[in-house]
Amino acid sequence: MKAWFRSHTLAFTRSVGGLFRQPIGSLLNLLVIGITAAFPLALWLLVSSLAGISKNISVEPQLSVFMVPSADQAQVAALQQKLENDNRLKVVQFIAKDEALKKLQSSFGSADLLAGISENPLPDAFVLQAKDPNPQLLATLKQELATQAGVEEIQLDSEWAHRLARISELGQNLFEVVLVMLGAALVLITGNAIRMQILTRKDEIEVAKLIGATDAFIRRPFIHSAIVQGITGGLFAVGMVWGAIAHTNPAIEALAKSYGQQFALQTPDALTILIVCATIATLCLVGALIAVSRHLRQYR
Amino acid sequence: MIQFQQVSKSYPGGFDAIKNLSFEIPTGELVFLAGHSGAGKSTLLKLIAGIEKPSSGAVLLNGQNLARMSRGSLPFVRRHLGLIFQDHKILYDRSVFDNVRLPLDIIGFDYQEGRRRVLAALDKVGLAGKEKLNPVSLSGGEQQRLCIARAVVHRPSILLADEPTANLDRDYAHDILELFKSFHQVGVTLVISAHDESLMADYGRRILRLKHGQFTA
Ligand SMILES: Nc1ncnc2c1ncn2[C@@H]1O[C@H](COP(=O)(O)OP(=O)(O)OP(=O)(O)O)[C@@H](O)[C@H]1O
Ligand SMILES: [Mg+2]
Repeated sequence: MKAWFRSHTLAFTRSVGGLFRQPIGSLLNLLVIGITAAFPLALWLLVSSLAGISKNISVEPQLSVFMVPSADQAQVAALQQKLENDNRLKVVQFIAKDEALKKLQSSFGSADLLAGISENPLPDAFVLQAKDPNPQLLATLKQELATQAGVEEIQLDSEWAHRLARISELGQNLFEVVLVMLGAALVLITGNAIRMQILTRKDEIEVAKLIGATDAFIRRPFIHSAIVQGITGGLFAVGMVWGAIAHTNPAIEALAKSYGQQFALQTPDALTILIVCATIATLCLVGALIAVSRHLRQYR
Repeated sequence: MIQFQQVSKSYPGGFDAIKNLSFEIPTGELVFLAGHSGAGKSTLLKLIAGIEKPSSGAVLLNGQNLARMSRGSLPFVRRHLGLIFQDHKILYDRSVFDNVRLPLDIIGFDYQEGRRRVLAALDKVGLAGKEKLNPVSLSGGEQQRLCIARAVVHRPSILLADEPTANLDRDYAHDILELFKSFHQVGVTLVISAHDESLMADYGRRILRLKHGQFTA
């Protein structure tokens, strides 16, 4: 245990010492890692912020059921009874035609608008929300309701929801593509950086192998170096994205306000930072392992 | 115990550096290896250390065939060897102390105990007080002593020295050979190669004479 600890502290001082011995090169490398990682992180924050809006403005699809104007009380009551007992529905709201007229009048701010009309032209209506907003279920409900007595028309206003879902799906897909591409780039970048570090320490590796070093002994400092670079590069990425968000958020907030919305891009939280650093460190580790094994292959 | 059983070694390109050699070096013996430049001395030592694999035949170290050994276990066999390379392989990016320290780091030695060992080894080869220097500032003979210190610091049971007296004047070369004799006295098996056979004659030991990869009488 003590020996294990010692071999690791030894490797750690060797590797981190190496990073400080070439400060400019190390810093440039960290910047490259940071910038590469900043793209998927920014995209992720954008996608999850958008998902936040869709919750805020509640675009859960609604079914509006309009009765024929001649429908009598009994038919309306029967349908209401039936809807309230339907356990696929979350909300069943009845809007009587008088109530609808009043609402309309008050939203126009005067009773004059409809003064010329003798009879209320509006039908009784129900506004429904399903428990599960899946489009298939809504279509089935629509079909069923159309056959009910006294129902004239059903409107399914789920277009909005569809569109938003598609946009965030697109964002999600884009995020996945960027993640895979830049993840591969990170592996290559660190693989190459570690290869350079190996070349500067070629002689040491050769002697060590000749006098009895295991592959693990050779690998250890490079693994440490890759993990340190990954975590630091991750923090660089978080810092850059944070700065970018702080820079653009005032404009975004102002824009959202002009639409009567409250919206701002989310800054990364502690868990996100942890995941970012762990992911990048893992990718850097993979790059380092590939580079070291390739180099070690020439020794016996 | 070092055993060669009909060992041949051809390098890529078809050059036969060692041709069908069979011999034994019992544990605790001091043996010299003589021969002209290109005779195959370095190749023979590399075969003992498992740095080169024989093209045919078998090299046994205490009964173990090095060529059959897995990649994982070879390093642990190497730790019983002390190697002095013809081209020194000194690391000039670190101090004398850290050069000698390397084998102990590989083994995973305790820090304080390792420090004592390094200083003792440097003292033994006559480099006491020079541990903080960079090896570049050592003379040729001192660099040779540094190589010896690095080869013995982990107390190997077999010491393989490839031309440790090259480019040294006669008196200095004798000092170095006396040093090897003292390792022999504590039971280490030694194989020492050199061009100059006259140096070896004074010691009355077994001499393996190589010529174009074969033994001569
Ligand atoms: N890696 C190699 N690849 C190809 N040929 C080699 C290699 N190493 C050695 N040889 C050849 O094998 C022969 C023996 O070489 P070796 O180094 O064993 O000789 P030596 O007796 O140690 O010579 P010297 O006294 O000059 O060190 C030489 O002809 C050399 O050219
Ligand atoms: Mg040689």
